[in-house]
Amino acid sequence: MNGFFTKYKNKKDGVIRGYDISSTSVKIACIIIMLICLAIVLFSVFPIIWVFLASFKDIKEFNRNVTILPDVYDFSRLKATWNAFSFPKFYRNSLIMVLGCILTSVFFNGLLAYALAILKPKGHNVVFLLVMWSLLIPSSTNIIALFRNINILNLNGTFFPLWLAYGANAFYIVLFKEFFEGIPKELLEAGKLDGAGVMKIFTAIILPLSKPIIMVVAIFAVTAAWSDFLLPYLVLKGTNYETVMVKLFSFKDTPTDAVSVLRACLFAIIPPTIIFALFQRQITDGAAAGAVKG
Amino acid sequence: MVKKKSFKRQDLWGWLIMLPSLILFGFYVWEPLFENVRLSLHNSIRYEVLDFVGFDNYRRVLASPDFIAAFRNTFSYTLWSLVIGYLVPIFLGIIISETVHMKGFFRTGIYFPNIVPGIATIWIWNYFFTPGATGVLNIILGKLGVAPLEWLNNTHWTIPLIVVTMTWKSAGSTALIYMANISAISPDLYEAATIDGAGIWKRIFHITIPSVFSLAKTLLILQVISVFQILYEPMVLKNGGPNNASISLMMLQYRYAFRDFDFSGGAALSVMICIILIILSGLYMKLTRSKED
Repeated sequence: MNGFFTKYKNKKDGVIRGYDISSTSVKIACIIIMLICLAIVLFSVFPIIWVFLASFKDIKEFNRNVTILPDVYDFSRLKATWNAFSFPKFYRNSLIMVLGCILTSVFFNGLLAYALAILKPKGHNVVFLLVMWSLLIPSSTNIIALFRNINILNLNGTFFPLWLAYGANAFYIVLFKEFFEGIPKELLEAGKLDGAGVMKIFTAIILPLSKPIIMVVAIFAVTAAWSDFLLPYLVLKGTNYETVMVKLFSFKDTPTDAVSVLRACLFAIIPPTIIFALFQRQITDGAAAGAVKG
Repeated sequence: MVKKKSFKRQDLWGWLIMLPSLILFGFYVWEPLFENVRLSLHNSIRYEVLDFVGFDNYRRVLASPDFIAAFRNTFSYTLWSLVIGYLVPIFLGIIISETVHMKGFFRTGIYFPNIVPGIATIWIWNYFFTPGATGVLNIILGKLGVAPLEWLNNTHWTIPLIVVTMTWKSAGSTALIYMANISAISPDLYEAATIDGAGIWKRIFHITIPSVFSLAKTLLILQVISVFQILYEPMVLKNGGPNNASISLMMLQYRYAFRDFDFSGGAALSVMICIILIILSGLYMKLTRSKED
């Protein structure tokens, strides 16, 4: 038990400091705090675990049995739903959507941030202000005019308007800009002396140095594009390119049995969960840092 | 002379490099803003814009009974989200900062709901809120000996419960921001307070909370703006019901445009939502600025 508290001696965060830990009431408080945190995590994670468990129930069991755990863990039931909804197709479409969005997120926002952070052409302050204001403009109020324009340009039913939407993201621009401003000026000057042009400096010096931030933006773009549904629903509905989220959203209009919807939810959760498991450090750090600066 | 010329060339390059992204910003953010205003002042049939009608569309939208319900509900969402959702991340941030064991696990755990796609979140909570014996929450209540509840079908509960699902999803990521802020507080402050005899509660109220206050103010306006745009949660859960009890302004806008194909009416509503948000932001900025002076 004493080992539990020795770690508190070097506590660097929060109100309780290392010098408090000798008192018994503080020790009790620390234990209570631990228990509360465990309860909070249970509350956060339980609904997701429940989806995994309940997907194994069949519809009769789901509607009659008043239990959390399923009777049997039968993967063939999951497979049946997977095939019945032809989920491979939705996965493929979501993948196409996500990959394109990664490219546009990195390319367009990276370029704009490069100009704002390093080239600083005359008037760049105005551009930055306009970009930041777009954070305050409620994006979904734009959807009517935007959808109308997409139709007028005949881009309905294609991925292009969805991909390109990720090329105009103020949040990613701020992340890139902050990072580029931290690149040592000497490196850029050296590149200039070697006669490298503006684009050459970007591709040969800045991009190779920016792998960490490209990674962060790409991860954000993956989770955002995977979850995105409103514009994809409006643009892709009824075509052969419906994504997983479009399918999940359209369940509200097409009566489907509860277990099938639940399994579809499970299929929608699995890919971001894998991404999160692989990159949890980058995701949680990026969420904390980016939002403060943005 | 030569220097000046090369300077100009650099400007030109800068603008050329910004151009593709600026076109995208124009297409997705700025042009639709003006287009909405234009649409709202004209009659239209599908994509075709017809005559100028002044504020007729606005009058029509304002006179519809759904508007009153949506307007009231949207404010109700916002208020409830401030009551339920606003303090939760602050509490989470403060309490997880007090742990030394498994801190990474706690951070990951509270952030996990945030990566679940929004639509899936809503479907999942739909099963939790199912009335009758098979709803997940009713199962849990049953184990504790409590009779099953009506959950979303009780019109007084619909909006607060929808806010609970939103809080479940987003509180963790906001809490991480507070945690970053809390760990940046100088240890000297705590040490000085301790020497002056301040206990743990005193330190929370006199050091931690004042330190996160300016961040909390910024997040307040961001939260109001985002909750004001609530759309898919009530749409998927109850399709705005029961009996319009959960319809939001954004959802009404969606109905105008994409159910009835009345783009003009929808645009008029969008413009009004935009104006309300701009007024709220402006009011807020004025209030906080005058306090700081």
